[in-house]
Amino acid sequence: MSESVFVPRRFVIAQFADSDALLAGTRKLREAGNKNLDTHTPYPIHGLEEALGLGRPKIPTLVLLGAIAGACIAYGMIYYMNVIDFPINVANRPPHSPPTNIPITFELAVLLGGTSSFFGFFTLARLPKPYHPVFEADFFARASIDGFFLSIEVPTGGDVEKVAADVRGAGAVEVQTVAESER
Amino acid sequence: MAAPHPVITSSDPLDPRPLIEGKQTDQTINDSLLEHVWRGAGKGWWALFGVALSALGLLVIAISYTLYKGIGSWGNNIPVGWAFGIINFVWWIGIGHAGTLISAILLLLQQKWRTSINRFAEAMTLFAVICALLFPLLHTGRPWFAAYWLMPYPSVQGIWPQFKSPLTWDVFAVSTYFTISLLFWFLGLVPDLAALRDSSKSPSKRFVYGIFALGWRGSGRHWAEYKWAYVLLAGLSTPLVLSVHTIVSFDFATSVIPGWHTTIFPPYFVAGAVFSGFAMVVTWMIPAREFLGLKHVVTPKHIEMMCKVMLATGMIVTYGYVMEHFIAWYSGDPYEFAQFFLVRQRGPMSGVYWLMIFCNCVVPQIFWSKRGRTNLPVVWIAAILINVGMWCERFNIIVTSLHRDFLPSKWENYAPTWVDISLFIGTIGLFSTLFLLFLKFVPAVAVTEVKELRHELEHAKHGAGHAGGEGHA
Repeated sequence: MSESVFVPRRFVIAQFADSDALLAGTRKLREAGNKNLDTHTPYPIHGLEEALGLGRPKIPTLVLLGAIAGACIAYGMIYYMNVIDFPINVANRPPHSPPTNIPITFELAVLLGGTSSFFGFFTLARLPKPYHPVFEADFFARASIDGFFLSIEVPTGGDVEKVAADVRGAGAVEVQTVAESER
Repeated sequence: MAAPHPVITSSDPLDPRPLIEGKQTDQTINDSLLEHVWRGAGKGWWALFGVALSALGLLVIAISYTLYKGIGSWGNNIPVGWAFGIINFVWWIGIGHAGTLISAILLLLQQKWRTSINRFAEAMTLFAVICALLFPLLHTGRPWFAAYWLMPYPSVQGIWPQFKSPLTWDVFAVSTYFTISLLFWFLGLVPDLAALRDSSKSPSKRFVYGIFALGWRGSGRHWAEYKWAYVLLAGLSTPLVLSVHTIVSFDFATSVIPGWHTTIFPPYFVAGAVFSGFAMVVTWMIPAREFLGLKHVVTPKHIEMMCKVMLATGMIVTYGYVMEHFIAWYSGDPYEFAQFFLVRQRGPMSGVYWLMIFCNCVVPQIFWSKRGRTNLPVVWIAAILINVGMWCERFNIIVTSLHRDFLPSKWENYAPTWVDISLFIGTIGLFSTLFLLFLKFVPAVAVTEVKELRHELEHAKHGAGHAGGEGHA
């Protein structure tokens, strides 16, 4: 559409007194129909997934697929190299000897499973992302230290003041509104 | 409601000593655990760093000499074809295993005391594996060719590694171990790096930590996936750590040398690895908690728990020794019998054997006593002795077995050269250098996890305080 015109994304960011207030506030705001809710906490809070209405996590499936792929790649690689491409007769042992293939098959399953977990997480989380509009709020630095925050992206045309009032009503201690800065 | 900052106690009614001492909030934990990163390096740090750097210099000299002269400059020669190179490899890998055990297995077992020491131990794992990897690489003689000797790289010669050899399994096991340990460590570190970024006083530090924090903003959507990514990496690391030392033990167990050819090797190697690894964690943790101001999160209770693990694994190792000797006698194999009852106990290397028995079987017995477990100087000395003992164990397995095998005409004694000794001291220097840098630039304790633990303990206390109220389950 209007690619040349920069339309800053607007956020309402609110700090809550503690994790329980954040949980209650998040639940209330989500039930009130707010979209694009997110929380920002220094450590994971039990129950936030449910309060945010998140679905099943995707990482376990990714890791399972990664591990299966790793095992298949490893076994296939050894089979190809030892049986098809370059069979060597060592003391009349069979070229395809399943027990000796177990360690490497296992190791590559772990390697690909583990890397799927790590890179899968960063892909799903869309990190690294050094800039995000929520960092514009001057009190947001506390989110990684001891603050419990909630952010709502206000859709274009939405009323920022109304959302901010709603957030205050949900128990926030302090509310700020920020806009994305143009880079 | 209760007081705003209740004293945090352990949730274990049998052991009321706290896991986190004093009245702490997220803010005080954050400040106290990051303080040693912001504080300038003191004289003590520079002194230690100087010593470590000189040992690292020795490593550079020894590696250069090895590459220039070839591995003929090492003391090993037929029949003792493996010596310091493999001893140090196994020793370092073993030391690394405690880190994975603490971070992964204790996480899965929900042992809350692990939280204060896991970051520290994971870093130790990484650095120990780097030291370990140097030895087999140099032992190939021409490390620049090692790529196609070790990895299935499609070179023009069309030849592949020997997949039926445990040495090839080792390559995959150790490189996987290093990769997974690094990812696990970094994943755990990201929220702490964000905390460092946001508590930085200067823009340059904020910028640097900001780069490594990858823009972490503690998003609830991220945490939901993050928890799974972290716990699954732990779940994968658990069988991995067991497999790595099992595969290392296969290097010996699949051969026919008396003293190597035993089925007890895999579990006994794994237990020995955990034993030496915990000893190394304790060796570094006791001075570090003193000098980095970590006493409120690494309490005597943590040290005592680690002593109990050392006692348990030490007993498994002792059982391994007993079984080796029993089977040597029970099998009726004269070579096995001679190896265990004559060569090791009364041969030219018997001093190492008895030192091993003393350090690994006798010394840990002090941890039966609560006074032994809580007296820090005693624990520290015992931990160092255990490290010495575990090095002696690998010397015994490798050199003592090789220098007296089947034919007396093949017997030969072994002595390390200055290059061997310099390489060994050099890797200790490398390890110490990396570790001191880690302690300077990264929080030694997993700040985020300690905050989470504090939050959890406080909620558990509140929940117990008003039963019937709204629970936080």
